[in-house]
Amino acid sequence: MRSRLVYLLFFLLAFSVPLGAQIEPIPNLIVQPIPLPGGDISPPYGLYNQFFPGPPGATPPFDPINADPQGITNFRGVTAMGYTSGMTKDKQYVVITDIRVYQGEYIGGEIADPNPMNSAGATRSAHAHGTFVEI
Amino acid sequence: MPNGLFWIVKVPDSAVQITEDTLTIHLVDVPTVDAFTFPPPPQDVPGISPFQLIPAKVSFDITYTKTGNPRRIRPASHDPLSPLNWAGQMWNATNSGTFSLAYNDGTFSASGSFDSSGNFGEMGTERNGSFVNHEEEADNDDVEATAQSLSLPLQPTQMSQLAASETAKQPAKVVLLKGRVPVKVTY
Repeated sequence: MRSRLVYLLFFLLAFSVPLGAQIEPIPNLIVQPIPLPGGDISPPYGLYNQFFPGPPGATPPFDPINADPQGITNFRGVTAMGYTSGMTKDKQYVVITDIRVYQGEYIGGEIADPNPMNSAGATRSAHAHGTFVEI
Repeated sequence: MPNGLFWIVKVPDSAVQITEDTLTIHLVDVPTVDAFTFPPPPQDVPGISPFQLIPAKVSFDITYTKTGNPRRIRPASHDPLSPLNWAGQMWNATNSGTFSLAYNDGTFSASGSFDSSGNFGEMGTERNGSFVNHEEEADNDDVEATAQSLSLPLQPTQMSQLAASETAKQPAKVVLLKGRVPVKVTY
């Protein structure tokens, strides 16, 4: 029984470590996705580049149901989002999430000329594909 | 968050599995931070954030499942800042999942599960920004012919009657989401 558990653990680790290693922060990407230009303005923070769609008749606190659920502009693909609630196993904390998944193509910005003598990193439009998760 | 993309990371395509009615995501050890509050309080010193960010890692599995009929979304505005400047086909969606998280320094960890519990969720296909501008003609061709036609409302009160009646059945309670926006929890 114990050996089977270790066997299972081995496969879990073998699967999980590479997946974790491939997670890329946005600033590291060659083609940078562009934030949605609009969003909700909420003092004192200011502009969130994000809308918060909600069910009909729930504005506020939500935006209308057909508000764009994306966080990235110039995007075409699959989007999934949802507000959730739950508990930690020890029942000590309530867990509330808004996790969104975006998979598809996008037009973002990349450095137009990699020669640092020619610009400070000025952009040009570039096409890319990606899967993004908003946690 | 210098680039305006809140808590967004790029993950391998293989982390997401999509079927006709579901989308499942599996992620392990996603680097994140615990900010305690969001938005942050007003800064005491210009340029220096007064709140503390605790490095952490989070793992989760979530499955989103389509429900009901799709809504056909057409762009109702040309204003690039408008929430209605996009096109697509969206279904309401439930979701459920499990998670675990831990501070990198080991001082805190937790695990558990969550689900939509009547909260709003949706999934589908969409295009925005330059993809909408370039394909506006295509939007009028009923390429998503199986969708239930539903133009974008200009005001919340003009929402789908079907969706409105479904929501009206459930009383709601407002709680906080990640400390950043109110979330309506329905029972």
